[in-house]
Amino acid sequence: MAYKKILKLKVKNLLILFAIAAFFLLILKPSFASSPYVLPYPSSMPGSSIYKFHLIYEKLSEFKYFGDFGRYKYNLRYADKYLVEAKTLFEYNQYLLGYKALEKSNIYFEKIRPSLQSASINSKNISEKNITLSQAAEKHEEILESMKINTPTTFNWQPEKSSPTVLSIHELIGKSIMIRKNK
Amino acid sequence: MRTIYFYFTTLLLLVFLSYLFIDPNFHPLKEIYSGFAFSHKALVSYAYVFLVVVSFMLYLRILKMFKNKKLNKAQAIGIISGSAVVLFFSYPAMLSYDIFNYLTTARVLYHYGENPYLVMPIEFIGDQNLLFTHAANKFALYGPSWIGITAVPYFLGLGNTVLEIIGFKFLNVLFYALSLFLILRISKDYYRVLFFGLNPLVLIETLLSGHNDIVMMFFALLAFYFIKERRSAFSLLFIVVSILIKYATVFLLPLYAYLEYLNLRKRNINWDKIFTSASCSMMLVFFLSFIREEIYPWYAIWFFIFASLTHKKFLRGLSLVLTLFLLFRYVPFMYTGSHFGSTPIIKTVIIIVPVVVYVFYYFTRLKRMLGKW
Repeated sequence: MAYKKILKLKVKNLLILFAIAAFFLLILKPSFASSPYVLPYPSSMPGSSIYKFHLIYEKLSEFKYFGDFGRYKYNLRYADKYLVEAKTLFEYNQYLLGYKALEKSNIYFEKIRPSLQSASINSKNISEKNITLSQAAEKHEEILESMKINTPTTFNWQPEKSSPTVLSIHELIGKSIMIRKNK
Repeated sequence: MRTIYFYFTTLLLLVFLSYLFIDPNFHPLKEIYSGFAFSHKALVSYAYVFLVVVSFMLYLRILKMFKNKKLNKAQAIGIISGSAVVLFFSYPAMLSYDIFNYLTTARVLYHYGENPYLVMPIEFIGDQNLLFTHAANKFALYGPSWIGITAVPYFLGLGNTVLEIIGFKFLNVLFYALSLFLILRISKDYYRVLFFGLNPLVLIETLLSGHNDIVMMFFALLAFYFIKERRSAFSLLFIVVSILIKYATVFLLPLYAYLEYLNLRKRNINWDKIFTSASCSMMLVFFLSFIREEIYPWYAIWFFIFASLTHKKFLRGLSLVLTLFLLFRYVPFMYTGSHFGSTPIIKTVIIIVPVVVYVFYYFTRLKRMLGKW
């Protein structure tokens, strides 16, 4: 009798444990593979007084980033910067500014591959840079996918003294993802 | 003459000792790699200490001989030239690997066409220099003036590592000679030239290890020289060049501004005081350098070049004590092969104790002398 009682208790304990485990497994969200690449903090935003200085610095520092690896770093840096800027602006419903920032990010991202190709032509080993670029592209895609969820498909931008413009936000995000996929 | 014979024998032994330290990864000299210094740490440490002590004693003896007119100017120049020639053939990475960093940084710019302030040497996977460069994971540590100057030895090397190193060593010999010439022009005293030029620390750090501090200090001294000559534009140019080599001479700027002020007002300048102040300023930076990293022996060149131009006995004595004991800072690592454990403590003690003893001794003697009066 005592043996049966102990067995019952053990089964009961096991069931409780299983129930707890099942509960946690159910409430956990499915997780996707995420890139270890780290994006920068958001910098100053359009409208801020120092934003213009940042734009000037961006233009001037182009001279500093000479060489194939230099160009690679410069383009990746600003592709990252403008992606973060676009994400932040979209979060604050600043769709026009966010749209422009994403366009800039795309321009910079498209220039990364040619700089690496040039490095390869110049006999520089680009294997590690390729890995970083893949991780960066993966992270960008993650961000862009999340942007797609949190933004309207289109936005009608109505300036005060000129004709309205329709911003195809999802179309741009789709194009941005394709640019990252075709890296 | 026996002193001179012993002196050159010591230098030749030092050159021989340097080749026992060839890095196993330094492929251009792999044929003569012995690994002796790494397998006989105690023996090479004793040999190094012995050679430093002997060379220092002989240096002081040569200075005394010159003072007592047992050596003439031609002989003094001969000893300096001979020292430069002998040490030019030494293996440069016996005590520090900085010359390899200079070389690899130059390679980033001149071979790969990349900005060394943004691209690290380690990013060039498979580069042959990465095998022996110890700071490959750092951006360029030196200023643009230095990187500009390194174009000369780099291109003269024609892509051959040994020739490039010879080019760097030749550059240092050139700036060593120019510095001595400048000391002579300013002081018009051969004793001061010998005092600076034959100091074992100056010889080892400039001609053996090939550190660029001599280049920075040459331009700083040149800036002072042009103020003396009342040519402010040249002076300003050279102080800027000096600062943009290793940045340390930025601490000379307050003194430099004061000098320019005196110059503009056409006031008389007490150059002994100026060189004393310059030496003290650089000594202060030297002692504060532990904040950034650590006190490296070759930093002594910053204050020693100005100390050689002053009449202040205390400063010159202190500088001499420092130059001797700084060379012993290499010993703990040489002996143990580790930068950790007791090494940092011994390295600190090696500097602090002699300085405290010297200051105490100097002022006790001074007090006694004043007491007699």
